[in-house]
Amino acid sequence: MVAVSVDLKDALARCAGGDKAALRMIYDSECASMIGVAARIVKRRELAEEVVQEVFVKIWRNAHRYDPGLGPAKAWIYAIVRNQAINTLRSGRREDLVDEVPEDAGSAVEAYAAAERLPDGNALRRCLEGLEARRRTSLLMAYVDGFSHGEIAGRLGLPLGTVKAWIRRSLLALRECMG
Amino acid sequence: MTDDLIATAGEYVAGLMSPEEQEAFERRIATDGEARRAVADWRTRLLALDETATQLTPSEGLWPAIEAAVGAARPEPAAEPGWFARIWQDVSALRLATLAGAAAALVMAVLLVAQPFGAGGARPAVVAVLNAPNTGEAGAIVEAFADGRIRVVPLRAIPVPEGRVLQVWTLWDRQVGPRSVGLMERAQARDYATSGMPRPANQQLYEITLEPAGGSPTGRPTGPILYVGRGATPL
Repeated sequence: MVAVSVDLKDALARCAGGDKAALRMIYDSECASMIGVAARIVKRRELAEEVVQEVFVKIWRNAHRYDPGLGPAKAWIYAIVRNQAINTLRSGRREDLVDEVPEDAGSAVEAYAAAERLPDGNALRRCLEGLEARRRTSLLMAYVDGFSHGEIAGRLGLPLGTVKAWIRRSLLALRECMG
Repeated sequence: MTDDLIATAGEYVAGLMSPEEQEAFERRIATDGEARRAVADWRTRLLALDETATQLTPSEGLWPAIEAAVGAARPEPAAEPGWFARIWQDVSALRLATLAGAAAALVMAVLLVAQPFGAGGARPAVVAVLNAPNTGEAGAIVEAFADGRIRVVPLRAIPVPEGRVLQVWTLWDRQVGPRSVGLMERAQARDYATSGMPRPANQQLYEITLEPAGGSPTGRPTGPILYVGRGATPL
């Protein structure tokens, strides 16, 4: 795949001004990754593409709301991707999926692979590795797979309250470790 | 930044909140810059995880579908009946809002017939019910008159923190972008005189955002949307 280097902040500013070519630049640069992120959550390729289609419409309509003072454009874009994917699941399509994704399928959980793929020396990786394994997995199952507290508790065989408390503490530990 | 805020913002970014918790936290974000920064901080810190996703080549139909969806939003709002529905789907969990808005609009239409607003009984060209993006609760009514006058009537108390102000916007053409109607220091009915805007049209967007005191420094909405809705021509 050809790496396309795009200034996403600039592209969003141009989208806000109605420049459709800038939206296409974001598409060329990010679309494949965006589908990958959505697919980890919705677990189905064609549904992931539907999610990404909606995300591009949102980017187009809301580009003027992006505030560069609040972090990189890429973080803003991927927050929309995960949000849209989770909403798609929680708006009633999740029931369809339960039948399709065996509850015990380890492959359905992307959390493990995500952590391993973080670059060596990455602060997030180092700090995640500092967490106890099941706590780390709980947090990653939420962020990467889009699982709810209840789903994480079910899959890990833990009480709901434990999962909730672990994730909050893990977030604080992560934040402290990353400085 | 307190531990509670750090953990709560993390839960929000990880998508772990119930719809009710999410709505409450988004209200907090709307009025609390520190909460907004806490969210942005987590998004930035965790972005590397998104970058680990396997790249999946889009199918050939994806870009044309996006272009069609986006293109449909470009022409004159009134010319595109599908736009209304799509906008609502656009904002999360808004299915009920459409119904609530429609019901409220109906109530307003009845009220308008019974008791016309404005000098000399002038009727608004367009009426909009503005709903909260997440709960769909109706927050304000907008009446836009053909002479450029716009009346905004809040339907509930809208908290305005120190150093912030409510700002009313309208959007009739994406190419032009959102235009400020005016500021509202606190939630109370207000009339605004506007000029340089076309006659209010069916489907025209109105929204109220929370902005820094004095209004958005950029001339475009920078703060969170508190209430948003589209205009309809009263019967």
